[in-house]
Amino acid sequence: MDTGETALVLEDLHKRFGSLEVLKGVTLSAHKGDVISILGSSGSGKSTLLRCINLLEVPDKGTIRVGDEEIRMKTNRRGERVPADRKQVEKVRTRLSMVFQQFNLWSHMTILQNVIEAPVHVLKVPKAEAVQVAERYLEKVGIYDKKNAYPAHLSGGQQQRAAIARALAMEPDVMLFDEPTSALDPELVGEVLQVIRKLAYEGRTMIVVTHEMGFARDVSTRAIFLNEGRIEEEGDPGEILVSPKSERFRAFLDCSI
Amino acid sequence: MDFSIIADSFGLYIQGLKTTLQLVFISLAIGLSMAVPLAVFRTSKNRLISGPVRAYVYFFRGTPLLVQMFIIYYGLGQFEIVRTSFLWVFLKEAYVCALLAFTLNTAAYTTEIIRGGIAGTPIGEIEAAKSVGMSRGLMFRRIILPGAFRRALPAYSNEVIFMLHGSSLASVITIIDITGAARIVNSRYYSPYEAFLTAAVFYMAITFTLVWLFKKLEHRWYAHLRPQEHSAAAAA
Repeated sequence: MDTGETALVLEDLHKRFGSLEVLKGVTLSAHKGDVISILGSSGSGKSTLLRCINLLEVPDKGTIRVGDEEIRMKTNRRGERVPADRKQVEKVRTRLSMVFQQFNLWSHMTILQNVIEAPVHVLKVPKAEAVQVAERYLEKVGIYDKKNAYPAHLSGGQQQRAAIARALAMEPDVMLFDEPTSALDPELVGEVLQVIRKLAYEGRTMIVVTHEMGFARDVSTRAIFLNEGRIEEEGDPGEILVSPKSERFRAFLDCSI
Repeated sequence: MDFSIIADSFGLYIQGLKTTLQLVFISLAIGLSMAVPLAVFRTSKNRLISGPVRAYVYFFRGTPLLVQMFIIYYGLGQFEIVRTSFLWVFLKEAYVCALLAFTLNTAAYTTEIIRGGIAGTPIGEIEAAKSVGMSRGLMFRRIILPGAFRRALPAYSNEVIFMLHGSSLASVITIIDITGAARIVNSRYYSPYEAFLTAAVFYMAITFTLVWLFKKLEHRWYAHLRPQEHSAAAAA
């Protein structure tokens, strides 16, 4: 599905929390239609990397480019690196939908309200149109019949599918998945993976932090193994997951059958 | 118990009831509309913004309502600058002083209640709002405050009832509210039992009405916490 057009470029990202250096220079680019799986043990920095992409964490060093727009950074009075233009960050975020491990639906809104919220209030789509789009996506993820329910009334799998519909309704250029199935009961993982799989086959550009090796192998166009804040190995998932070159990656794969 | 006393002074009580309701609802309305922005400022990371609010809340929660009312009613008139200003037209009125004290007092407490509601916002909901490109203002308006109000509702219903009961202090500075009416009846007939018991019944009636209203509001606002039947059935 790779069309050659660049969707996202990360260059030399560094991030530290206090004395802990979580990212030590990560460079990564995604073309349109790429499905990139980010693998790694806990603490390897994979979630931080994903959260740097939409500036939920601000990298200490490095550049982020979404499409052909580079996020401008500056140094504030306390010497911290911060986005130079809040409006630019907000605009870029509308093109990068994120699906969270804990779903993070807005609890006081129904599922439909959750899905139309950002299109109506951020993108200024007319409400009737937003509802139409939302219903189409809710249908697609298989929870149309729950559209008037509140998040607390849904199972984890249903909530995550609602969160995916919410992300889709933004019509994003790149979708970011942060361990989308890690908080789910084992029997609910399948229904969510199936939805993500469907999106991958549609040619959507996705970056997925995951522990699901089967998913990474079958669905992604590229897999990346992150270790101690650096990319240790990357390549075609069919190859590197089967015959890893790096010792650490092999050890990781052995542990996570 | 002499019911004829109550019957004879009923008009006075009704007048007092009107004054009490006016005082309480005006101060609550202004107090609440002040408290929302104040609570937002209070949660700011910028000390220049949160500091003054913190000091204001600290003062009004740290002193009794009666003292605050005395400071405004007896205290302000001491200053030449206040007496000669155009504000004196209002501030010489006991009613305005009571209203001012009540408003500032309830605003301080309500600020703290809403601040608690804001602080209780699940971090994930904020991150989700950021991730779709919401601005800070929009996030407060659509995500944080609606959630904060829901979380603050039980505490706020308490504040409303405290304010109602606290408003009886207005009678000390010549205002004829329900308690003021009771004091007049008491001094007229020397029958404290009838006079104040009647006042108590009035307060209780208002309290129960308020409790009922808040229950209604909770029912509406807590739809997302109620067991499934309502919303899920409606969806089918």
